[in-house]
Amino acid sequence: MALSNDELKAAILEKAMKAPKPQLYIKDFYECDPDTKPRAIKNAANDLVKEGKMTFWSSGSTTMYAAKGRAKDEENR
Amino acid sequence: MPKHDTPMMDDLEKGPWPSFVTDLKRQAAKNDQCWDILGQLELSFKDRITHWKHGGIVGVFGYGGGIVGRYSDVPTRFPGVAHFHTVRLNQPSSKFYKTDILRKVCDLWERRGSGMTNMHGSTGDLVLLGTKTDQLEPLFWELTHDLNWDLGGSGSNLRTPSCCLGKARCQHSCIDTQALCHHLTMHYQDEIHRPAFPYKFKFKFSGCPNDCVAAIARSDFAVIGTWKDDIRIDQAAVKGYVNGEFAANGGAHSGKDWGKFNIKKEVLDLCPTNCMWMEGDELKIDNSNCTRCMHCINVMPRALRVGADQGATICVGAKAPILDGAQFATMTVPFVKVDPENEFEEVIEIIEKIWDWWMEVGKNRERVGETIQRVGLPTFLKVMEVDILPQHIREPRSNPYVFWAEEEVEGGWERDVREFRKRNAQ
Repeated sequence: MALSNDELKAAILEKAMKAPKPQLYIKDFYECDPDTKPRAIKNAANDLVKEGKMTFWSSGSTTMYAAKGRAKDEENR
Repeated sequence: MPKHDTPMMDDLEKGPWPSFVTDLKRQAAKNDQCWDILGQLELSFKDRITHWKHGGIVGVFGYGGGIVGRYSDVPTRFPGVAHFHTVRLNQPSSKFYKTDILRKVCDLWERRGSGMTNMHGSTGDLVLLGTKTDQLEPLFWELTHDLNWDLGGSGSNLRTPSCCLGKARCQHSCIDTQALCHHLTMHYQDEIHRPAFPYKFKFKFSGCPNDCVAAIARSDFAVIGTWKDDIRIDQAAVKGYVNGEFAANGGAHSGKDWGKFNIKKEVLDLCPTNCMWMEGDELKIDNSNCTRCMHCINVMPRALRVGADQGATICVGAKAPILDGAQFATMTVPFVKVDPENEFEEVIEIIEKIWDWWMEVGKNRERVGETIQRVGLPTFLKVMEVDILPQHIREPRSNPYVFWAEEEVEGGWERDVREFRKRNAQ
């Protein structure tokens, strides 16, 4: 059974904080709940960015997600 | 006064053509950053390597696209371009601007950025080149509140849709490309501004098969206007062309004397399917064999017009990656109605079917065309619920492209083949 939206967001955030890689593709979050459609997972991840718990990292051609503070920040390197 | 010694840059000012170096020097009088761009570029020429790092977490609040982070890897030598972020603005459909708004955006960009622009980026956006991180939010506020202008797409988003001039200026247009482009831009705001996909996804809309925005070569989802019925012929105008009353190609090649117009040499013999011929002084077309190459219509626009039953062909999967080589889009849906009355629902249904499949099956950083290549066209067409046509096959006479499913075969895969052979010739 698919997770509720809050449970899904918690699972995404946990993966973003604990994954060995600091930045993850949206598809990396699909495994948080295989019963949820990719579009709903994308919406939940984007909500977490809106809430300030995650950030986007973009190369310009590809976008990745990271828990706040984990993304590679060129500006402060 | 130049800040850096740039002999190789200066060399690019020689010759009769316009030079971006001259433009940069002119702009440097207003903005000191431009000297550092020239200095860094000179260093790149010398070192034979780029000194730009790209990517980062820069952006504006609520958006996951539209800003491309760009940093110098030699910031102490060129502090003016230590940050030099790119801003993409969503261009209006067909790039029709009022000069007033262009002045305003240029004024804004001279205050908030380098003053340099790129009209336009290859996706179609109006690109503002080079600003610092602390200018992004104020710039975005002024753009959206004072100029009523939005950012375009970047990253794994839907990229800014773009279209040809369409019915605004072209008699060949079979669809209202501007209406479609604008509607889908508004309909998919979330997908343009926030990442949604395994990789980038581009829409482009051309009004006719001349495909003036090169949708078939440059977009993941190309909508190209076409018609279902017959090319409309004005036989009197055909005679007019033959008698030299009208200039061929709308007079486009009139700079040289090409001799008398020869309909056989310039039209009939160039038809790729040989579906045209003359009967006396009447032009005949076997429309069932027309491939919509547009050549005859382009040469004799007074005499020939696109058909009246109009719609679009959908082609999917163009890409131009550096390593793999470029690929044209594949014709997927031969004809679809493009109807503003029902808010283009037939087109939207096809788009979302592709997205739902690609979001699930596509790998990270894999364009939809690459996913189709990986899983095979028959699988994709099955997902799209499109019957395979001979036009989908490179060599339909030699390629056994019809594959049967077990349930379609009498007795399935378990039948006794020897028994079957006894009753059927080998």
